[in-house]
Amino acid sequence: MATREAGKKMIMLKSPDGMEFEVEEAVAMESQTIRKMIEDDCADTAILIPNINSKILSRVIEYCNKHVPTTGATGAAASDTVAPAALAEDLKIWDAEFIKVNRATRFDLIQAASYLNIKGLLDLTSQTTIDTISDNSLEEIRSFLSTKNDYLPEEEQTIRRENQWAFQ
Amino acid sequence: MQQQQEPARASGGSIASRNKSKGSPCQQGLVAHGSVASPGKRKGSPRQQDYVADGSVDLRTDINRTPRQEDESSQGGPAKDYSGPHGPHLPEDIWCHIHSLMPLRDAARAACVSRAFKFSWRCYPKLTFSEETLGLDGHVNRNADARAFTTKVDHILEKHSGVGIKTLELLGALDYNAKDRSYLDKWLQMAITPVLEELWLYLSSVNNKYEFPCLILSHGNAASLRRLHLSKCTFRPTVGLGCLRSLTILSLLQVRITGDELGSLLSSSFALERLELRHCEKISCLAIPCLLLRLNYLEVLYCKNLRIIENKAPNLTHFTLVECKSLQVQLSHLASSQMKSVCMDCPGVIGYIRAKLASSMPNLQSLLIYSSEMVDAPMSSKFLHLKYLNIILRRGTFSLSYDYLSLASFLGASPSLETFILDVWEPRMEHVSASTDLSEPREMPGHNHGKLKNVRIDGFYSTKSLIELACHIVHIATSLESLILDTRDRPREIFYFGTRRENILKSRRALVAIQTYIRPKVPSTVQFLVLEPCN
Repeated sequence: MATREAGKKMIMLKSPDGMEFEVEEAVAMESQTIRKMIEDDCADTAILIPNINSKILSRVIEYCNKHVPTTGATGAAASDTVAPAALAEDLKIWDAEFIKVNRATRFDLIQAASYLNIKGLLDLTSQTTIDTISDNSLEEIRSFLSTKNDYLPEEEQTIRRENQWAFQ
Repeated sequence: MQQQQEPARASGGSIASRNKSKGSPCQQGLVAHGSVASPGKRKGSPRQQDYVADGSVDLRTDINRTPRQEDESSQGGPAKDYSGPHGPHLPEDIWCHIHSLMPLRDAARAACVSRAFKFSWRCYPKLTFSEETLGLDGHVNRNADARAFTTKVDHILEKHSGVGIKTLELLGALDYNAKDRSYLDKWLQMAITPVLEELWLYLSSVNNKYEFPCLILSHGNAASLRRLHLSKCTFRPTVGLGCLRSLTILSLLQVRITGDELGSLLSSSFALERLELRHCEKISCLAIPCLLLRLNYLEVLYCKNLRIIENKAPNLTHFTLVECKSLQVQLSHLASSQMKSVCMDCPGVIGYIRAKLASSMPNLQSLLIYSSEMVDAPMSSKFLHLKYLNIILRRGTFSLSYDYLSLASFLGASPSLETFILDVWEPRMEHVSASTDLSEPREMPGHNHGKLKNVRIDGFYSTKSLIELACHIVHIATSLESLILDTRDRPREIFYFGTRRENILKSRRALVAIQTYIRPKVPSTVQFLVLEPCN
C-alpha cells in the first residue's frame, strides 16, 4: 500500500459478500468489538464481519478512519497546528455530511455501529434518527420505523391518557 | 487508508473479491452462538439470519439488503421517505436504544407508538424532571407549579417499572411539607438501585429541611453511582454507608453536612475525581484523605465557616477557592508539584500568592485570581511554568492611587507566560482622567519576555498606570502576537450605576489615550485590536 507507513499494523476485514478491506489496526479498533478480538489475539490474519455488507462496511471504515485519534499517520494533517475546538468543529461538519443518507442506509449504519460497538457512530446515527422523528405524529413515527400500531383500542386509550402531559 | 477504501466503494482496486471465508476459530467466534450461515448463504429468511453476538444487540435480518432496496429512497437529510410497515426497519432493541436517548417528553409521546415502545418507556433510563422537561410554565404560579411538578413526577414514576434507571434528575420547585418528604423518599427509594449512575437533587424551595435518606445508598445500592449532586438538603453520611466505589463526581450546594460527615463519605469514595462544595456552611474542617488517588479537582465556594483545608490527595491538579471575607482558610498540604491550575477569589489573595504560591506549587500552569489589591512587593519566587494568567480586579476599592503597573511584577515572575488577561472592573467616572499626563512615564525594571503572545485588557480606561502597564507589556514582550484593549461597557455594569453617556465618554477618553500613548509603540507585527462601543 502506497500510503501505509512502515510499522503500521494492518488488519483485514472481510464482508460476507466477499470483499476484503485492509485497514490500520488503530482504525479497526475504533470498533470495540474488533478491539476485543485483537486484544484477545484472535485477529492474526483477517476478521470476518458476518452481517455487514461491503457497502455499509466501507462507510463504517470511512467513519472510523475519520474519527481515529489523530496521532498516527492518518492524523498527519491534523496535528499540533490545529486547535482541538477547530478539529471538533471540522468533525461535526464532516459527520453532518456523512449521515446524509437515505433511511435504509442509516438503519444499516445504526445496526452496524451497534454490532461493531462504535459509540460515536451509534450516537450519530441514533441522534439523527431522533431529530428526524422528534416533531412527527405517532403515525409518521410508525411509518418511519416501519412498525405497526399493535395496541388494542382500549390499550391505546390508556397509554394516551397516561402520557397526556407530554402531548400538551 | 483513504486509498484503500475508495476502491472498495467502487468495487474494485485493491479490494480483493476472493471469497475467503475461513477465519481462525477465534474469528469464527465473532459469529458465535448463531445460526448465521456462511457468507454464500446469507439470503435466507429474516428468521434464519437472527443471532446474538457476544453482548451486542440482536442484529436481525436486512442489514445485507440488496443495493436496489438501499437506493430506492431519496438521498439526504430528514426527507420523509416513509414507506409504512414494509419498509426498512430496525430491531426492537435498537429502537429501545434510540428511545432511551430521546428527551423525556418525546420519549413519553413515543410510548404511544406501539407496545414495544410502551415496554421501553417503562424502563426509560434517563429520568430528568424539571419544569422545562415536564412542560410547566414556571414562575406564573409557583405553588401551582410545585404541585404540578410533584404530581407529574409521581405519576410518571408510578408507571415506571423501576428497572434500568441510570439517571434521576429532580430539578424543580418543591414545597416542603411532610407529604413532599414522603414523595421524595419514595422516588429515591425507587430510583437508587445498583444500576443508577447519576443522581441530581436540586430542589429549589426545600431549604435543607429534607434529610437525604443515606441508608438507601448502603448495601451496594450505590455500586454504579458515578455522579452525586445534592442541593438544599441535609446529608449525613456515616461510616456505615459502605463504599461508593464508582463515585467520581460529588457536588454539594447549600447542603447541611459537617466536616466529619463529609470525611466519612470521602474515606470510602476511592474513585472520586472531582469534589465541589458550595455554601456548605456546617463544614469547618475539610480533610481530604490520601487514599483519594484520583482526585484532581477541588472547588470550595463560599463555605463561610471553613477554617482548614487539609489535602492529602496526592494528585490534585485543579483548586478553586472563593471566599466572601479575607483569606481565612488555612491551606494545609495544598503545596504540590502536581498542581496545574488554581483559581482564587478572596481578599488577601495577592499577598498569599506573592509569598507562598510560587514556591509551593512550582509547576502551576494556569492562575485565575480575583482581587482588589496592589502588588506592593516583589514576588518571592518565580512561576516557572505558568502559561495562563487571568487577573480580575474587583470594583469598589478603586481610587486613582491604584497602581496597575504593579501587576507587571507578575509578568517578570512568570517567564513561560503565554497569555495574560487583565479584567478591570470599571471605576466610577470621577476616577477617569480627562487628560492623562504621561510626560514622565515610569518604566518598570524587567527583562524582555520572549514567550508572552496574547494580552487582553478588558475594561480599559484612561488612567496613567494602566497606560504604563500596556506600554510596559508592548516594550518587554518581544514575541507578542495579539494585543486587545477593550474599552466597552459590559453587561456586568448592571452593578455600576454609570449612565450610558458616561460610559461612552469614558470609552472616548480611553481611545484618545490609546491613540496617543500606546498605538505608536505597538510593532506592526502585532495584531492590535481596540474594541470600542460602536463595534
